[in-house]
Amino acid sequence: MECRVTTVLAVSTLLLAGCASQPQTAEEFRRAVPGAFMAKTETFEVDRSFRDVAETFQRRAPECLNVRIKTTSSTSTSYQVIVARYTPTVMVSKERAELHVQRKFESGVLKVSPEPEAGYYLLVADAYPLEKNRTRVEWFGPSRGYDVLVRAVKAWASGENLGCPDLTKI
Amino acid sequence: MNARVCAVIALAVGLATGCSGLRLYSNTLAPNLQIRTEAKSGSVFSSVRADVGIYRVDPQCRIEYQGTVDLDQPTVAVGIPTDRPSYLVFGFSSSSFLGGTRGSISQETLLRPRPGYSYDIEATYKDDLYNVVIREVHPASGVRRAIDLQPLTACGRVAERPAGK
Repeated sequence: MECRVTTVLAVSTLLLAGCASQPQTAEEFRRAVPGAFMAKTETFEVDRSFRDVAETFQRRAPECLNVRIKTTSSTSTSYQVIVARYTPTVMVSKERAELHVQRKFESGVLKVSPEPEAGYYLLVADAYPLEKNRTRVEWFGPSRGYDVLVRAVKAWASGENLGCPDLTKI
Repeated sequence: MNARVCAVIALAVGLATGCSGLRLYSNTLAPNLQIRTEAKSGSVFSSVRADVGIYRVDPQCRIEYQGTVDLDQPTVAVGIPTDRPSYLVFGFSSSSFLGGTRGSISQETLLRPRPGYSYDIEATYKDDLYNVVIREVHPASGVRRAIDLQPLTACGRVAERPAGK
C-alpha cells in the first residue's frame, strides 16, 4: 500500500485513538485533540488586534482553503491519484474568531469511519481578544505532516505572511 | 532534416502542447500587466514552476481559455483587453525528483484593467506558501492601489463597472 494512504489511514485512525468515533463537530475536535496520539494543540499571542486577525481569517480562508487538490504519485510499479476537497469555515463573534478546516477525500483514500459532510476536521484555530490590541490564538490539529497549513494559519494571525499554503504538500 | 525527424518533432510538440490542452497566449496587446514572479521550492530535490492562464470572460460570465504565459522570468509583461474582464489563473506546479510526486495549485482572479492603467502583480511561491498580489498603478501619479482578488462569482459586478472610472 502506498505510503500516503498508509499515513492517511494511520492519522485518521490514531489521531483520536481512544475515542468511539471521529469528531463530528469542531467542539468535539477541540475536546478530542489534547489527549490524542499524533495530535497537538498550541497557544500563542500576536501583536495584532482581534479584529484584524478575524478579518484576515475571513479574507484568506475562502481564498486559500476552499480548494480541491489532486496529487499524483508514481513509482516504477504503481500510480496513484488522490483528490481531496478542503473546506474552511470562519465564524466570528465578539468573544472568539474560529477557523475550521475540513478535508474530504473524493477519491484515492479509504474511509474508515463516518465523517461530517465536509469531511474530517483537520485543524481548528481560535482567536481571542486580549488587552492592548493583542490577540491570543489557540490551534488544534495534527502534530506532524501538516506543517504548511499550521504555518500559514499562524502567519495569517501574526500578519507576517498572507500567503496560501500549498496543500499538495500535505 | 528528413521527413521522419520532422514528424517526430511535430508529434512531440503536439503531445506537449495540443494534447495537454495548453497553448501559449498570443500576448499581442500592449502590455498592461507586469508580473513579477519568485518561485522557490526550498529543496534541491524538487522544483516549482509558475504560469498564468488567461481566459476571456463574456457578458454572460462564461469563460473561454485564451492561452497560458509561462512565468519563467523574474518579470513578464502581458497585455490583456481593457474593454471586458479577464479571468487570470496563476498556477504553481511542483514536482519532486524523489518519489515522482507532482502537484499543482492555483489562485484565480477576475480582472478588468482600466484603460491607461498598469497593473503590478506579484506571484510568489516560497516555503510552500504562495500568494498573488495585484496593485493598480495610476498612469499619471504612479500611485499604487492594492486590489482584492475577485472570484469568478463576482463576474457580474466586475463586468458592470464603468470602464475608465
